[in-house]
Amino acid sequence: MARDMAQAAVTIVTPGLSTFLKSLKTTPVEPSIENFISLLKRRQIRNSRPCAIATTALLHRVVGEFKGRDAGKLIERIREVGRRLVSAQPHEVVVGNIVRRVLGLVREVVDDSKDSETNANSEIAQISQQEQSPSQSAHRPNLSSTISSFSPLKHAAAEPGQLHASRQSEATSESRELLKRPMLSHSYTSIAAGVPMSHSLFGLFSYQDTPSASNTPTGHHSPTGKGGALTSHNLEKLADFSKPNARVDLKAEVMDGIRELQDELEQSDEQIASNALDHIHSNEIILTHTASTSVQRFLLNAARKRKFTVVHAETHPHDHTATHGIVLTGRKRYNEEHDDDDEGSSWKPLIAAGIEVYVIPDSHVFAIMSRVNKVILATHTVLANGGLIAAAGAAMIARAAKEHQTPVVVISGMYKLSPLYPSDTDELIEYGDAGSVVPFEDGEFVDRVDVENPLYDYVPADLVSLYITNLGGHAPSYLYRIVADHYRQEDITL
Amino acid sequence: MSEPVAGNPVQASDTTNGASAPPPETGATNGSQTPSSAGAPAPGPEPKKLSAAELKKQKQAEKQARRAQAKAAGPPETNPREISAKESQKQVKDSKQASKDGKSKPTPPWRRPSQPTVPVFKDAKKEAKDSTQGKKLPGLFFGHLYTERREHSVTGATKGVHPAVLALGLQYSSYEICGSTARLVAMLLAFKPVIETYETPEGTSLARHFISHQLSPQIDYLRSCRPLSVGMSNAIRWLKDVIIKIDPATAEEDAKRDILSSIDDFIRDRVTVADKLIEEYGEKKIEDGDVILTYAASSIVEKTLIRAHKAGRSFSVIVVDSKPLFEGKRLARKLAYHGLSVKYFLITGASHAVKQASKVFLGAHAMMSNGRLYSRVGTAGVAMLAHAQSLPVIVLCESVKFTERVALDSIVGNELAPAEELLSESERKDMLPLKPYLPSGLLARLGAPEGEGDGEKRAEPGDVVKWIEGAENLQMLQVLYDVTPAEYIDIVVTEHGSLPPTSVPVVQFMSTDKK
Repeated sequence: MARDMAQAAVTIVTPGLSTFLKSLKTTPVEPSIENFISLLKRRQIRNSRPCAIATTALLHRVVGEFKGRDAGKLIERIREVGRRLVSAQPHEVVVGNIVRRVLGLVREVVDDSKDSETNANSEIAQISQQEQSPSQSAHRPNLSSTISSFSPLKHAAAEPGQLHASRQSEATSESRELLKRPMLSHSYTSIAAGVPMSHSLFGLFSYQDTPSASNTPTGHHSPTGKGGALTSHNLEKLADFSKPNARVDLKAEVMDGIRELQDELEQSDEQIASNALDHIHSNEIILTHTASTSVQRFLLNAARKRKFTVVHAETHPHDHTATHGIVLTGRKRYNEEHDDDDEGSSWKPLIAAGIEVYVIPDSHVFAIMSRVNKVILATHTVLANGGLIAAAGAAMIARAAKEHQTPVVVISGMYKLSPLYPSDTDELIEYGDAGSVVPFEDGEFVDRVDVENPLYDYVPADLVSLYITNLGGHAPSYLYRIVADHYRQEDITL
Repeated sequence: MSEPVAGNPVQASDTTNGASAPPPETGATNGSQTPSSAGAPAPGPEPKKLSAAELKKQKQAEKQARRAQAKAAGPPETNPREISAKESQKQVKDSKQASKDGKSKPTPPWRRPSQPTVPVFKDAKKEAKDSTQGKKLPGLFFGHLYTERREHSVTGATKGVHPAVLALGLQYSSYEICGSTARLVAMLLAFKPVIETYETPEGTSLARHFISHQLSPQIDYLRSCRPLSVGMSNAIRWLKDVIIKIDPATAEEDAKRDILSSIDDFIRDRVTVADKLIEEYGEKKIEDGDVILTYAASSIVEKTLIRAHKAGRSFSVIVVDSKPLFEGKRLARKLAYHGLSVKYFLITGASHAVKQASKVFLGAHAMMSNGRLYSRVGTAGVAMLAHAQSLPVIVLCESVKFTERVALDSIVGNELAPAEELLSESERKDMLPLKPYLPSGLLARLGAPEGEGDGEKRAEPGDVVKWIEGAENLQMLQVLYDVTPAEYIDIVVTEHGSLPPTSVPVVQFMSTDKK
């Protein structure tokens, strides 16, 4: 830390992602966590990608420093770090996503080693699972409150029942109300419990020995005897793993997994971009907004073979400078960081690739929309219900597109996909500095008028036509399924 | 809405003209010059400070302007267009020789302070063509729109434009008078001195001569400053109608008095009293506890809100605003000054603002005959969001702003504004650090003489505009209005009462037919 500070003082670099990553190599874990927390709190690391990169790097280190072979303790440790990070900056949902992904990695390693053993107890586990479901449905309302005990946000977490596609639309808007209806919840939990929806169909049998993957969140916090028993069963199994096991090195496996995760973060833009030609045809007029590297790469990739026109809404007052930057030079950050991820030729603006770019103020979106063929949105976070949190103005763009029957395509790395269901979207919206709306020199105005500056918009799922992630294209209604593939139910409540 | 005062705005924009806006060349000059320029003395001897050619053209224009004024000291007898075209052809030669000292020439004593440079007529269409040479067209979307560069000085004005109108034109182009009602009233008020100072030449009558020779140049000049608003066109049509109907036998003094008094009546009936009525109707739509959302600034919305506040209604206001005009700021300030509780959002936050609102009040630039609202760009987006939230969307609009025109989208008919207005000074400053990363070709093309090393220090906010203008394939777009579909609008409040948007053509028909 001290060295980092000294270094920062010498080169006059504001602390950010690059300084954090540098310092991470030399600083012990605990100060690093503290450092990251304060960077998050001061918003010196912000936006999804830097947060994801920093979180993965930090967790890599946390796992590396972890002593012992007890998987339960490792999970507890990661979880503990994760909680601190999430509560430091609950708006950066991606931090929680990464923590959950890493937790999932640990569990996967545990499961894999279990798989090789006999799965004699799998049937028992499934039976107990089915038995418990009615009693748990009664306790489900506890769920959201247990989350809020450590996080200021009160999202309803993804629940097995909600994962069911047919409930999708209801669950998104009125998940809380749904919880209060015993009849409904009873019926859908029993379905979910009968078929472990949270796992891929191919893994149907191999995963069955995971004790009640779909039910654990409630069981974990449930005061009832049955739920408690389940938890202890779970922990017991994890502890089992701590017994000397010659075949699997837990730590090494998890570290490998994290490295893969890092690779995924690095390659996600590229993978998304490789889909571009499937989605953009010649002479299209594409409207996009804010400054997003992912969208930029996507469009650049399409520009190799196709001619099209881009209309760029500048997202005043937060991102307009970055937008102009990306339009003119191809890069949005010009003060720091770029020396870390200098990819040379990839910093090419669209205009240099022969694409006509029109920059418009955000007020012009509706006026222009009648000529736009396709809207491509960048996102901050994608939610499990298919909605998304994106830079302010996105809601208007998406709705205007809907009114004009223009398809809305959302470009997002998988790491932005969160298992959270928005019960109250306002909580996910971060408010920015009012001074960027009305400069504080205009003191009289600021005194008298309540200036608000929301940084993000919530775009409901029904306004989105398609998600393009590094895994390909998905309908918004399918995202719940991908969530289930990427996150373990046990980890949804951190 | 005050009567335009000649003075500062004139001076200010005149001085800035040289620096920011490209030289307002007269179309006539160019038309005649382009073919002859090969034979004419090349711009070589000119000092090559800016773009030599541009500088030269500007000087010529100014020079020519003076000459034109000097020659046309007498009453205008023929169409000024033709005159200036002919004259300028003659003057091209003269002005070239004398163009060097053009600027330093002392101001002739007969020139009024409000008239710092002398007008020469400017042919809009040719100008539009010329402007494409130096500047990119807003091609794809608004290529069909009038792309003439906005007049920011009186250099290009034709002779015979009244000083009051000259001043008004500058106030239009600098958005000092903004808002369709204000522009309408200001125009009518500026026409009054035009009428007062008019003297009918021998052998003709006021009714026959005034419109073509006195009124049209004024209107043309105003149009060159900013395209006429619907309200203004309606008023001009009405005024012409009044003048034509004057009995040629009427004594000139009486006729002028009649016109002046009917202008006053028009303003009273169609604006002042209409506003009062609309305020009254609008106020009734506000209930205790309401949160009224409005977009940008409308004088009638402002009056209605203040009136309701004074009537003791307890409600709060959300003003949604957008760059680059930030008209809503003034409205928010005024409302807050009157003690209303005001929230202020930019349009990016509109979806949040709409969530907090209970009703939406919108001003209008015009109501289209197919029930659509033509208003400040962004209005449609706000109305759409409000409609999606099932909020009542109420438009306040005087019937003078109803038009028989129809529109389906915001692209066919719109007013294009200079894109460089989009970047405020501070935004330009924020963009300066981009310089080292600009595509190498761009800076070379701009002919930036400085090397890469000291580039950043020497970059100036003004350069940013040049980058954008110089960058290939890149354009900024700015239009001023958009069209809100009728289905987003619940009520249109006019002085004839509250109507659904579908009734606009009926009211429009009634109010024009009455005469």
